[in-house]
Amino acid sequence: MPELIKVRPTKIELVKLKRRLFLAQRVQKIIKDRLSILTMEFLQTARDTVEAKRKLLDESSKLYKALSIAAGYHGYIAMEKELIATEADLKVTAGSRNIAGVRIPSFELMDKGKPVRGYNLVDTSSWLDRAAQLSEECLKAIVELAELQRNFELLAMEINRTKRITNALEYIVIPGLQATINYLNMKFEERDREEKARLKRVKVLVARG
Amino acid sequence: MPKPLQDEPKQSSYEKMLQECLKGELRVVNAGLPQSQKRQSKENKLFYLLNEQYPHVVCNDGSTHLFKKSELEYLAGILDTDEQKSLSLPMLIELGANKAEATIICEGEAEEKVISKALNMPVTCKERRIRIYKPQLTLLRRKLKTTTVYVFSPKIVA
Repeated sequence: MPELIKVRPTKIELVKLKRRLFLAQRVQKIIKDRLSILTMEFLQTARDTVEAKRKLLDESSKLYKALSIAAGYHGYIAMEKELIATEADLKVTAGSRNIAGVRIPSFELMDKGKPVRGYNLVDTSSWLDRAAQLSEECLKAIVELAELQRNFELLAMEINRTKRITNALEYIVIPGLQATINYLNMKFEERDREEKARLKRVKVLVARG
Repeated sequence: MPKPLQDEPKQSSYEKMLQECLKGELRVVNAGLPQSQKRQSKENKLFYLLNEQYPHVVCNDGSTHLFKKSELEYLAGILDTDEQKSLSLPMLIELGANKAEATIICEGEAEEKVISKALNMPVTCKERRIRIYKPQLTLLRRKLKTTTVYVFSPKIVA
């Protein structure tokens, strides 16, 4: 049962309440639209996250296999010696974008175009090339997953917050306003009926007298 | 001394709060839109964004909206140079009143071509709007994450 708002039973208060109800319904409409967009984006992000995670796991398992083969072929010491020269700074462009009022991060691995791997191509085999190529793909997948996972968390938090506002409007504010408007309408009707009955009574008394 | 009667009754604090809430929500949901005065400027066109090191636009709230280079390159692959110069980014998506469909604000043929290619189906532009359904919207957002943004217009909300 919605709680009635304490107001004086006057026509002005009724007009005010109706205006409040109109405003509350408009706010509710915007928030519901926003919630529907956020939910859609959230579901899409969830699907993408699962896909990105699966991709990362696949890439990692392939990478470990390739690395094991390369290590077996060259030997650990020789491979480590070659790989020391390959260390390079990773460049990631980080920015933000906005989805229906939620600022979410956006990461992109800077691609230099042609990969220049530091090791000696003459002394190494194609196994190492394969491992290096897979590790680059793995790195891309990690950056993509990082972005998606953070987006997933932020969208979930915003959906929770928006849902609370929608519920407050839907189950407390709007029903309270509607109940109060109904109560005031009934009160005015009751007053009208009383007035009519009183007038009839006065008419009868006047007719008798 | 009683105050004279006013034509418009004064707003109560409750009404003010709701009004502020409404304004605040509209402000928040539209915060990610590019600044209106810069919407038609050169910096927002695909052709110029492609040459930038960090392609971005400034939003209404002063923050920046970063575009992914991979998406820009995808768009550049679809359009020729003239169309690239006419395509303003980000593209605006307006949610319809019945929520089942969305409209994309279309300022020229470039948008039409991009949407048509991204959705892999022909689309028609009527009254500067391209209408698409929700499943298509999901597909479009998946392909063009950073180059599209949602816009909430008070006209639709009302």
